[in-house]
Order: sequence, then structure tokens, then C-alpha cells
Amino acid sequence: MAYYVNRNVEMTWWEKAYIPEIIRGMLITVRHFFKNLFGFIPFFLGKKKEREIFTVYYPEETMDYPIAYRGRPVLALREDNLPECVACGLCEIACPAYCIDIIPGANSGKQNKDERFPKAFTIDYAICIFCGFCEEACPEEAIFMSDDCEISMLDRKKMKYDMEQLLVPVADLKDRIEFTRKMYGKWNY
Amino acid sequence: MDLFSFTDEFLIDLGLTLLKIGFILAVTVGFFAPVLTWVERKQSAIMQDRIGANRADIMGFTALGLFHIIADALKMFAKEDFIPQGANRLLHTLSPIIALVPALLTFAVVPFGGKYELWGHQVNLVISDLDVGLLFVFAIASLATYGYVVAGWSSNNNWSLLGSMRTASQMISYEVTMGLTIIGVLMVYGTMQLDEIGAAQENFWRWGIFLQPVGFLMFLTASIAENKRIPFDNPEAESELVAGYFTEYSGLKFGMFFMAEFIEMVTIGAIVTILFFGGWHIPFIETQDIIDTFNFSWLGPSIANLITMGIQVGVFFAKVCFFIFIQMTIRWTLPRFRYDQIMKLGWKILLPLSLVNIVVTGIVIMLLK
Repeated sequence: MAYYVNRNVEMTWWEKAYIPEIIRGMLITVRHFFKNLFGFIPFFLGKKKEREIFTVYYPEETMDYPIAYRGRPVLALREDNLPECVACGLCEIACPAYCIDIIPGANSGKQNKDERFPKAFTIDYAICIFCGFCEEACPEEAIFMSDDCEISMLDRKKMKYDMEQLLVPVADLKDRIEFTRKMYGKWNY
Repeated sequence: MDLFSFTDEFLIDLGLTLLKIGFILAVTVGFFAPVLTWVERKQSAIMQDRIGANRADIMGFTALGLFHIIADALKMFAKEDFIPQGANRLLHTLSPIIALVPALLTFAVVPFGGKYELWGHQVNLVISDLDVGLLFVFAIASLATYGYVVAGWSSNNNWSLLGSMRTASQMISYEVTMGLTIIGVLMVYGTMQLDEIGAAQENFWRWGIFLQPVGFLMFLTASIAENKRIPFDNPEAESELVAGYFTEYSGLKFGMFFMAEFIEMVTIGAIVTILFFGGWHIPFIETQDIIDTFNFSWLGPSIANLITMGIQVGVFFAKVCFFIFIQMTIRWTLPRFRYDQIMKLGWKILLPLSLVNIVVTGIVIMLLK
């Protein structure tokens, strides 16, 4: 929707005088200053006071990310300790950065209850762009974006996670699974 | 007095002068310059609903972020002292000094207290009681322009040169206003000696802010513009010129520019206090009243004078702190002017206003005679 912004605002004589408006602006900042200054004192004495400051001391305190947040993709682990993944390779194809690498394994009757399962599943987080396409492509609800974004490392090779590192119990992913059902159900996949 | 005869009087004078110099250096370089870096961070943070610097700690103790001062100093010492290729090495090294020295030198004539009678000796709390004190302040303050211009020119960098050109034009434009504003004050008090101007404001209703309200506003504006802080920070506009004239400076040379800015803030606060805000006087209380209050039988007049001196120096620096607070508030409230707006404000608004101020002051003085 296009709308027109009038940038030639006619100022009143009070605004043109400039100094009263400066003082008004300064009063706002000074009010914030004193309000926060006195709000700070109980805070520094160790009491957690309801304050208007939303700063979070990051490494010590962390915030809960919203459920739509796309952190590193993880694999869902069923209750019977087997991956939900069937190694169809759709996420591998959907991945625009080619960071997913799946070696599929077929069921010979002994190794696995499922017909198909991934023998190896690696995601290279050094390449991953956190787009969430793998999650969208997955027909089995097996790969999900988690809220974990702290994956910086000193060694690039360690950024390549194998299946043991990727698997996360389904119970931990419940909210995200529900979110994806709502999200991608909209387009009737 | 013979110049080389070391009489007692001479030695006492020498000692007192050295004490005063030491006091001023300790207060400006040792206290205000470092603490103001902390104040600026913390005040801006609290003003903007943030917490501000508080991560530097010694043994887990942060002291509200005061250790950031030490961390900053250590960082500046440890940095590479970089001189860019094609720069004028001599001028590049010299210009921070040229910028810093005038900021300190103006304090030579700024009184931070009145005259006190201590054990039969007259103590005047000003390092150098010049007859042309006010002119001296402006002469020295305008020298600082050279530091900034030379800094930009010598570092062989386009941004620096643009910054220094803007510095030159801005400082020259606003010095005109500043000088003309001062004339109103001179007409009212009839002296250029800063300590006499301060002493003349003992009566609350004789403060410069009541006698020269327009002059006060214009002087504050012009002096903030002289100091090149936001909203007049075109010479170092971060979003346009990287860092303006000190783009190519690092380490302690950058620290000197930084320190010059903060000391200039103190200087502005001190001069505004002396000229417009009653100097070292407490409203409605005369100096003699304070002396009489403390003049008990067993204390003696000298001790009473000493206590009064302490109180009045404290009052003076409290006022200076108030003006620093105002400057910081302005700096964190207002956005930067555009270059043409600065020039318009300087030449088309402040200059005519200051001329009108002189005329009106003259007419009023004539009528009151």
C-alpha cells in the first residue's frame, strides 16, 4: 500500500524558536537518566528489581529464543532410540549450501526396524546458512531447526557434526515440531 | 622585588603557584579527563535505558565499570603508534600536542576560588592573575584549531583533510560569535580579569545568567561548537568521515585528542561557570558569612578561611560538573547538524544575535546610569 509522507512540515513559531524544543528533548533524556539512575541502585545492591532496562548479560544470562528462531538443524531421535530419518535425501537436495551429506543404508532384516535408515548423516555447520529448507523439505519430521546458535569453534573440521552429535530426542523438539506443522501445513504439503 | 632574591615572600608565592598548578593538573588530567570517559559511557547508557560499560573487573570486582578507565589507558599504551605512508612525520606527531596543550593552558587564568587570607598571606586561587584573562583564554583556545587542522593535513588522508577543513571553518565561524558574546559580559562587569568577574557575582541576582541570558545561551552553543562535540561534530562525523581529522591516529596520540576533548569540556564548564554562573559563590550566601560561621574563638580566622576556601572550590567544581552534565546530555540528545545548517546557525543567527545583544546591553547600561 503506497502512502504519501509529507516532508515539508510547517513548523509553528514555538518549534521554529528551536530552544524550547531542545529543552523538551533534553528533559526526556534527563528524565530517563534519573529514573534509571535510581532504578539502578537496588539493582547493584544485588536485588533484582523490575527495571526498564532490557540488557541481558549475555554469557551468564541467556534469553529464550522465540520458537520460530532458526538455530542449527538437528535430527530427531525417536523414543526407541532410532533416528526418525529415512535417508530419502530430500534435505540434501533442498540444501542450497550443500552442507548435508547422507549415506543411506537399506534394511537387510537385522540392523534396523525401518526399511531405510541413514548410515551416516553429517551437517557441516561451517557451510550451513540456517535457511531451514531442510526442515521444510523433510517429509518424515526428522530434521528440525533448534534454538542453539552457539556453534563457533576454533577448528573448522570440528564444525562437521556426525549423526551422534546431531540426534536430539523428540521430546525436546516438541514445540518446534508443532510450529512446523502449523507453519508448513498452511501450504498443504 | 629583585627577581633573584629568594625572600620568604617569594618562596611562599612560588610554592603556592606550584601547588595551584599541581592542583589544576591533578583535577583536569588526573581526575576529570579519565573519569569523564567513564561518565560519558555510563550516562549515555543510563539515558538510553542500557546498563553501560561494566565488564572490566579486578578479581571479580567491577566498581560500576570504573576499571574501564584503566583498561582504556592500557589499551592505548599497547597499541601500535602508526604513521601512515606519505604522511608528514613531524607534523603528524606534533599535532596532538598542539591540540592538547591549549586545552590545559587555558586553566592558567581560570580562577577556581576567591581571595583568602591565610596566616597573614593573601591567597588568590588563580594560577596567573592576568589583566587580559578573558582575551588570553580566547587567544589560547583558538590556537587549538592549528592542532586539528595540521592533524588532518599531515596524515595524507582524504577524510582527515575534509575533517580538518570543516574544523577550520566551524571553529573560525563560532569564535566570532564567542568573542562577540563575551563583549556583553565585559560591558556588564567592566573587567577582563576572570577572578574579578567571578568576585563581582557574589550577589545572586548579579550572576551573568540574569544579566546576559541570551549571551549565556549563545556562549554555551558556540563553545560546544568549538569543542566539536555532537550536535556540532561535523569535523569528526563518524558516519561521513570515518573519524575526521584523527582518522589516522592510534595509540596515545589518539588518546591525546580524546583527552583534549574532555579537558576542553571542563574548560568550557569552568569558563561558563565563571562568566555566567556565579563562579565559586553559593546563591544568597556571601563569602564573609561563611567565614564568620566558621570563625570560632579556638579555630581562628585562618582556619575559617581555609574551610571557606575548601567549600567554595567544591562549589565551583560542582558547578563545572553540572555544566559537563549539560554538555553530555546535549551530546546524547540532539542529532548532528548538517554542514550548511551549522554555517547558517553560526553566521545568520548567532552572529546577528550577538551583535544585537551588545547593542541592547549597551542601551540598558546607558539607561541605568
